[in-house]
Amino acid sequence: MLHLDASSSYDAPALREPLVPPLPRAAFEHLDALFRLARRLTGDDDEAEDLVQETFARAMDKRAQFVPGTNLRAWLFRILRNLYIDGWRRAKASPVRERLGDEDPAAEGMVSGEPLRGDEELERLRSVVADDIEAALRELSVDARTIVLLDLEGFTQEELAEVLACNVGTVKSRLSRARAKLRELLREYAR
Amino acid sequence: MDHREARTHLIDRRRGTLDAASRAALETHLAGCEACRHEDAADAELSRLLDERLPRRRAPDSLRRSLEARWAPPTAPRGWRVARGVAAMAAGAALAVVALFLFRSRPPEDPMLTEAVNDHLRVLYSEHPVEVQSGGIHQVKPWFEGRVDFAPVVPFAGDEDFLQGGSVAYFLDRKAATFVFKRRLHMITLFVFRAEGLLWPTVATLPVGDVRGTVESSRGSHVLLWRRGDLGYALVSDADPMDLETLAGKVASGR
Repeated sequence: MLHLDASSSYDAPALREPLVPPLPRAAFEHLDALFRLARRLTGDDDEAEDLVQETFARAMDKRAQFVPGTNLRAWLFRILRNLYIDGWRRAKASPVRERLGDEDPAAEGMVSGEPLRGDEELERLRSVVADDIEAALRELSVDARTIVLLDLEGFTQEELAEVLACNVGTVKSRLSRARAKLRELLREYAR
Repeated sequence: MDHREARTHLIDRRRGTLDAASRAALETHLAGCEACRHEDAADAELSRLLDERLPRRRAPDSLRRSLEARWAPPTAPRGWRVARGVAAMAAGAALAVVALFLFRSRPPEDPMLTEAVNDHLRVLYSEHPVEVQSGGIHQVKPWFEGRVDFAPVVPFAGDEDFLQGGSVAYFLDRKAATFVFKRRLHMITLFVFRAEGLLWPTVATLPVGDVRGTVESSRGSHVLLWRRGDLGYALVSDADPMDLETLAGKVASGR
């Protein structure tokens, strides 16, 4: 289970501040994509549901901070990503810390094996199946997984920058490195 | 431009979002760098893999219901709802009579309807909506040989509905030959797949060529479904449903 901040627990609806606006209905249009990211971050259906529930609860808590007309989608995904990292950090309170992706950005693109050239890599890539892709994604760091998956969901680089709290130039280089790393992993699965 | 910078720009180049100066510098680099050209090809293949093979699951309905019950904004006050309902009733009734003849609705969770719209949206938002560019239906159809385990029967190439090309996708649990048309500003996707074993509508009244089908709507898209022989067809677009019916008739009959 995720260990999330107790301050994000639900308010009883009757006790909500009446002058604070409700969560825009448009927020629910992003539910499928939020669940997909949560599922691929946590690797578990139940934890993914918990994470999405918590994301909406946190969004309700913080809804007064959302500025209408700004990017609701990026705001929601940033909440989800931060919640996951916070919960994950507490759950992983061990001496050995897994990389989040922003601690050593250069390492994300490191390729351990010899790069394949020509048609061989393409042929290997073409032979992978959905399970291979899911497994390879799980081996990426949290931010690398996030950036690849949200790019796939159609996020612009400006939106990704908002979600990951970095600039667009950093998004470009992280996305490039994350995809290179994913290809490297897929080559291994395709053997 | 060095290799590192070049590779950072490759995806933007493929998506057409690279500024002119960077694009020119990148093209110069690529012309003399086989490694980066290979990188570009491999990354394009990765995009195709992610688009086609990574399942796109929906959030569980129980989660959706729970969240909406808890956090969705309240609907309008009862008094206003009643007044608005009365005002809309007359127009709604008239529309309903018309719609009754045009649409045979089924529950929104109908898996074929949901899948057709999801797949259509995936095509719309795909980096590479077609894998083979159209030079006409006679160039696109042979491309599917060896890629799907059936021969898609599509006798109509489109007139106003210009065929953009084709690709292979998954429709529920099976491969589908995908044809992408463009009618004015609207993209139209035709999925052709093996019909056996799917939960087809029990009543099909819409004439589609010399067979019968159904038309339904979901999330702003219209979906025409019909069967012919062993094959099933799903035509999806946000274009006018009457235009879709016309196109479906031509696709089904070749006329």
